[in-house]
Amino acid sequence: MSDESDYYMDDSASDNYYDDDDDEMVDGTQDSDRESSPASEGEASDDDAFGVELSAAALGKVKRKSYEVNFETLSDAAVDRLMNKEAEHVAGIFGLEPSTALLLLRHMAWNKERLIEKYMDNPEAVRKDAGILAAPPLAPTSSSSSAGVRRSARRANSVQPSAPPSTPFMCPVCCDDEPPNTYALACGHAFCSTCWETYLHTKVREEGEFTVRCMDSDCKLLADDAFIARVCSKEDSKRHHELVSRNFVGNSSQYKFCPLPGCSYTISCPSAASKSSLMTIVPTVKCPENHVFCFGCSLDQDHRPLICHVSKLWLKKCQDDSETANWIKSNTKECTKCQSTIEKNGGCNHMTCKKCKNEFCWVCMGPWAEHGNAWYTCNRYEEREGVEARDAQSKSRASLERYLQYYNRWANHEQSARLSLDLYSKTEKKMEEMQTTSNLTWIEVQFARKAVDEVFKCRMTLKWTYAMAFYLAKGNEKELFEDNQRDLEKAVEDLSELLESPIDPDNIPVLRQKMTDKTVYVLKRNEILLDDTAQGYLDGRWKWNADAAILNEAE
Amino acid sequence: MADARTRRVKKEIQDIQNDRQAGLTIELVNDSIFHLIGSFPGPPGTCYEGGKFDVDIVVPETYPFVALKMKFLSKVYHPNISSASGAICLDILKDNWSPILTLKSTLISLQSLLCTPEPNDPQDAEVAKHYLTSKSSFEETARYWTETYARPQTNEGRGAPSGTSKTSHLPTVRDEVAMAGLERAHVEQFEALGFERGRVIEVLKRINYRGANVPKISEDTVVEELLK
Repeated sequence: MSDESDYYMDDSASDNYYDDDDDEMVDGTQDSDRESSPASEGEASDDDAFGVELSAAALGKVKRKSYEVNFETLSDAAVDRLMNKEAEHVAGIFGLEPSTALLLLRHMAWNKERLIEKYMDNPEAVRKDAGILAAPPLAPTSSSSSAGVRRSARRANSVQPSAPPSTPFMCPVCCDDEPPNTYALACGHAFCSTCWETYLHTKVREEGEFTVRCMDSDCKLLADDAFIARVCSKEDSKRHHELVSRNFVGNSSQYKFCPLPGCSYTISCPSAASKSSLMTIVPTVKCPENHVFCFGCSLDQDHRPLICHVSKLWLKKCQDDSETANWIKSNTKECTKCQSTIEKNGGCNHMTCKKCKNEFCWVCMGPWAEHGNAWYTCNRYEEREGVEARDAQSKSRASLERYLQYYNRWANHEQSARLSLDLYSKTEKKMEEMQTTSNLTWIEVQFARKAVDEVFKCRMTLKWTYAMAFYLAKGNEKELFEDNQRDLEKAVEDLSELLESPIDPDNIPVLRQKMTDKTVYVLKRNEILLDDTAQGYLDGRWKWNADAAILNEAE
Repeated sequence: MADARTRRVKKEIQDIQNDRQAGLTIELVNDSIFHLIGSFPGPPGTCYEGGKFDVDIVVPETYPFVALKMKFLSKVYHPNISSASGAICLDILKDNWSPILTLKSTLISLQSLLCTPEPNDPQDAEVAKHYLTSKSSFEETARYWTETYARPQTNEGRGAPSGTSKTSHLPTVRDEVAMAGLERAHVEQFEALGFERGRVIEVLKRINYRGANVPKISEDTVVEELLK
């Protein structure tokens, strides 16, 4: 399923379009190298665009690309099956009921190996710890285990509590002496049904707790799922089940929930399960509801090509600094002597630093003494001291400028990507227009939509390349990376412009050709960039600068 | 459910009032049975013996399915009780609450908490440090606090400063120093260097200048701390 996600120029449309040169397609494909593709920019010939596209499609079909990960989507039911399979496995080894095995696994936070080891060692201790009835079902009289039998026997008893009939029963929780109905776990501590229900409700709803023990303070016995389903309301029971599967998924590094609110799909991605793997791959996955997120850090967007650790650093930096930095940049200057940041909020240009008492001119930044009698006016811009002072200031500003340069581009692409969502609706209109003004069919005008899709995707990539460039150490590798970035950026801007341009009804076939070419080119450039960065991670080619220095050591 | 809660709390209050032997008392605050003040005697044979400890109790809406909210009104010198706020660190008041626990059983649990401090899971880190460094000195201080703040015959044991009037026969220096669990000689030693007494007590308390720790902390270190 990961394969199809990157191909908007899918087979049906392209075959349709390039129908006539089927044979050529097969031959002229292998020149998909980085060097050859820029040729197809602008007025690319059919063949070029075609070759690129086909090779992309062919590659996609044959194997997954270096920047993609294999993953699988699991529905709720599939997660249940996995959970039960684990339980049955354990149950099989020790001859337990699956429901008991489930409780044991949950107790051990789903660490099956540890459970097996510990249970082998001392089953009684594990059972006691987990809150499961001490006596293991040694002699099952029927197909169901003795624990099950006992429990159901209790259930049968539960209408009349375990206390002898002569002693009037009073629920120890609500002090009701004539409860309509009572329940007890296998331990025999009986409580009225209303109290059990409220108790389970508080646990499940308010505390978000799925391990529910007997209400008696000294009794550690766990309520199993069947009991909970029996006693509490349907919604609470459903919620309990949800909590249980969340716990299962949460404790396993190879499964993850789709982080989007209200989405219940689980993704399985074994290749990104270990922390170390996240240093070299960016496991972007997509659930069946088309929610794209990162399996590694659960960020709800595709942050390729930047790995999780660094993108976290970047996002944090942006959150902490951006607004403040922008404000500082536009509203303050540094004292020429002690570099304190100063805001001028009125008054004349004669500044006296509060901290070091340095007196200088706000306009030329030179020492105030040299202004002589020309008080409160400054025409001395080129004086040596002033120039030097401004140099010193610019140095202290350099790092701020550097950050802002990357940040602004990052933010710009994010905004453009958001705007291209608006573009969808505009494009939709254009597509209708094209259908009415020319004899193209609906399927044939899809190229515009695909172009928008591709622009959006590439802008996301571009956005993150700026974050990546901010953290990459200077050197040849970074330059190559920035070359790729520049090529992609140019291609995307070109395509963007084309999308915004008005439609001339006479020119639709030309426009269509041009747009398709450019879309393919952009797609290819994006692939090249992602592929190169992914490969770079595997080769250990990327070195981080001082801002992300920790990562160099970690590698 | 609301009337079940009322029924149960009423019964629990009665249980406490019927059982004179345990020595527990319970009073309503503002005539509400959901806000109470309970008290129990300090356990005999401990440094809390002879004291009467008052506890503020709030019965939450969903009681008995969630724990009672309790905190000490009397100041207590104990590793698991905040010496400033009276907050209590006890498992049954948090995760290990069970719906069959009652006002009575919880008060008794608090009483037994006084017998068995758990300094490795402290609520009040300074007190816990004191306990771990020198148990005898800790006990002396706890006894002093009990005498000062938890005198049974005065209802006004709660709240801190009222205690001072009852102990006015003691010199004030001894008062503050003992309250902090410090040695008078130590405090005077640094006072002689020109530091204010309050400051000296505060610093010595913080760096746990007690028992076996004293030889380990040089005078210079203390002065440095004092100058900070």
